[in-house]
Amino acid sequence: MITVSSLTKSRAHVRVLEDVSLAGAEGTVTALVGPSGSGKSTLLRCLNGLETFDSGGITVGGHRLTPGSHAPALLERLRCDVGMVFQQFNLFAHLSAVNNVALAPRVVLGLSSADARARGLDLLDRVGLRSFADARPATLSGGQQQRVAIARALAMRPRVMLFDEPTSALDPAMTAEVLEVIVELARDGQTMVVVTHDHAFAKRAASHVVELAAGRIARQGPPADVL
Amino acid sequence: MKCFLIAVLIVGGMAVATAAADLDEVVARGELVWAADQEGGGPHVFPDPANPRQLTGFEVDLAALLAEELGVKPRFQQGQWDRLPLLLGRTADCVINGIELTPERQRDNHCSRPYFAYSLQLIARRDGPIDALGKLAATGPKGRWRVGVLTGSAAESVMRSRTDLEVDVIGYDGTIDSLEQLSTGVLDAAVMDDCIFTFYADRFSRLRTVERPFAGGFYTILTARDTPRLSAAIDAALGRLIADGRLKALYDRWDLAGRQQMLLLRDAGEVPIARQKSLGELCRDTLPLLIRAAGMTVLLSCLSFPLAVGIGLAVAVGRMYGPPLLKPLLTGYVEVLRGTPLMLQLYAIFFLLPKIGLALPALVAAIVALALNYSAYESEIYRAGLKAVPPGQFEASLSLGLSKWQALRHVLVPQAVRIVMPPVTSDFIALFKDTSVCSAITVVELTKRYSVLALSTGRIVELAVVTALLYLCMSWPLAMLSRWFEQRLERPAAGHGLTEG
Repeated sequence: MITVSSLTKSRAHVRVLEDVSLAGAEGTVTALVGPSGSGKSTLLRCLNGLETFDSGGITVGGHRLTPGSHAPALLERLRCDVGMVFQQFNLFAHLSAVNNVALAPRVVLGLSSADARARGLDLLDRVGLRSFADARPATLSGGQQQRVAIARALAMRPRVMLFDEPTSALDPAMTAEVLEVIVELARDGQTMVVVTHDHAFAKRAASHVVELAAGRIARQGPPADVL
Repeated sequence: MKCFLIAVLIVGGMAVATAAADLDEVVARGELVWAADQEGGGPHVFPDPANPRQLTGFEVDLAALLAEELGVKPRFQQGQWDRLPLLLGRTADCVINGIELTPERQRDNHCSRPYFAYSLQLIARRDGPIDALGKLAATGPKGRWRVGVLTGSAAESVMRSRTDLEVDVIGYDGTIDSLEQLSTGVLDAAVMDDCIFTFYADRFSRLRTVERPFAGGFYTILTARDTPRLSAAIDAALGRLIADGRLKALYDRWDLAGRQQMLLLRDAGEVPIARQKSLGELCRDTLPLLIRAAGMTVLLSCLSFPLAVGIGLAVAVGRMYGPPLLKPLLTGYVEVLRGTPLMLQLYAIFFLLPKIGLALPALVAAIVALALNYSAYESEIYRAGLKAVPPGQFEASLSLGLSKWQALRHVLVPQAVRIVMPPVTSDFIALFKDTSVCSAITVVELTKRYSVLALSTGRIVELAVVTALLYLCMSWPLAMLSRWFEQRLERPAAGHGLTEG
């Protein structure tokens, strides 16, 4: 489902990724760990084409990315299959919770407004926020916003979900509610890659842990071996 | 109403407080300040073609003779022609600029004895259908004939009073604007003082005079009512210039039929003075006209502003997200439109485009010019608005598979629109008032109608207050509406609070 081979990337003459290779099978959860600045988030952002790379290759959800800039059409197809959840949630501030979730199915997949809304309500139900369907993001707590963001990414029914430090901006109580949702997804067999600092969570949810240091893979293997 | 009266009293009081300079002060100062408009001012007052820094014209010579008679030097004061009387008692002692002697002018200012006899001449294209004044009595193939005149001139009032003619009278601020428009086919005819057309005829080879002049009158020198000694001195000086032949010699020098002028001036009769209307009568007579003109102001702004916003948004998006080749073009578009006066753009669209075969009706030209000019400002506002949307919003849209354009359409632009609401509203109100420049291309909106009425009735202050109130009546609700809209966009959707989590 995910193959990264010999990936390298430089930014302003500094190597941010160096010969990174990893693989994630369908239904597995890969945790990317390591200190700040080790290249975890950059690697994750390469996986859905938000960043380009210099050499090597990526295959994700059946789409192949090559070095250099990517064709917009390829990225649009790839991103339908690869969802992403951001550290800062990035909910659409002008839309209600359910419309945040329903926007992409309606605009990208061409669902009718009613069908898109129904899908949105189902997913909000799944993250426990159905009663907040019509609330604006600004009126929700951080944990609630992140759960809406997860529902929004799931609305495209992606084959792979990417999480970029999904709980770093949250206090412990909110962190717990978001992690609960992610663990639930793992149990349902969703293929995921999660950048995290939370080793306890990685141990609990991940089937594979990759530790990065200074842009290189320091260690990788089952959680029990790496952490 | 109370506030209105107080405002009238205050403004009126200030007007009275500036006392005009009478003869003693002029003599003490050693200068007679005379006002005129040198724009399209031939043969009266115009820049010397050989030395454009030097003014020339028969009125320049006349002013010099008069000043000499008063024992002082002449000093020229430039002013917009239809507003020259407003300069009296403020920056000018007298107005010498082809001002026709009329009952209204006799009422509002002191009018000297006549110094020149003018005739009104109908002018048309050589190849056009108008070959007699009588042709204007029946509608043409395109309906009523369009006849251009100088705003505030006798030609305008004579043509407007001719209800027997099927004409739409269109007022221009520049003396020869109507000739330009007649040449390019926008007008069917023009009416002006014959000496003006004679002076400029060489420039307009496609135009000709139609029949003999059909009406006429006298030019007079205006002075303020409260400078009786100056007025008397000017009358006496004119009398001496006429008696000893210096005025005839002046007209002969300018090829203005000196002997004929003297005969006509000898027969110049008294002109009756008009009666002052009461405030009630004034409002009854002018308010319907002002309200109709306010309708034009609303029409201009409501048609041009949405266009400006649409173009501005497209330009902003193009500059930020468009192909690289397009960006310098759009930047140039913004800088050119923002960096040149709206008035020039109006002139270019109205007077220059017809020369390349694209004659837009005045209303369309006005809307296009306003929309283009404001689109430059709107695009900068939208650029700021788009930049103010957090970058994460764009990344989140892309990560869901939206294309760049879908992200703009559904995520970035809707948020930018909310951010820029206050400055855009403010611009709408600014445009609303800027519509007044459209009078330069014959569109009669509120400010223009005010000028016309103020000058024809002489009730400058009262009508200014009425006009200002009309503007406020329109812009205030506009501001309220946009504030309401702003709040509606800000308000979170109803029904759910923070009961969970």
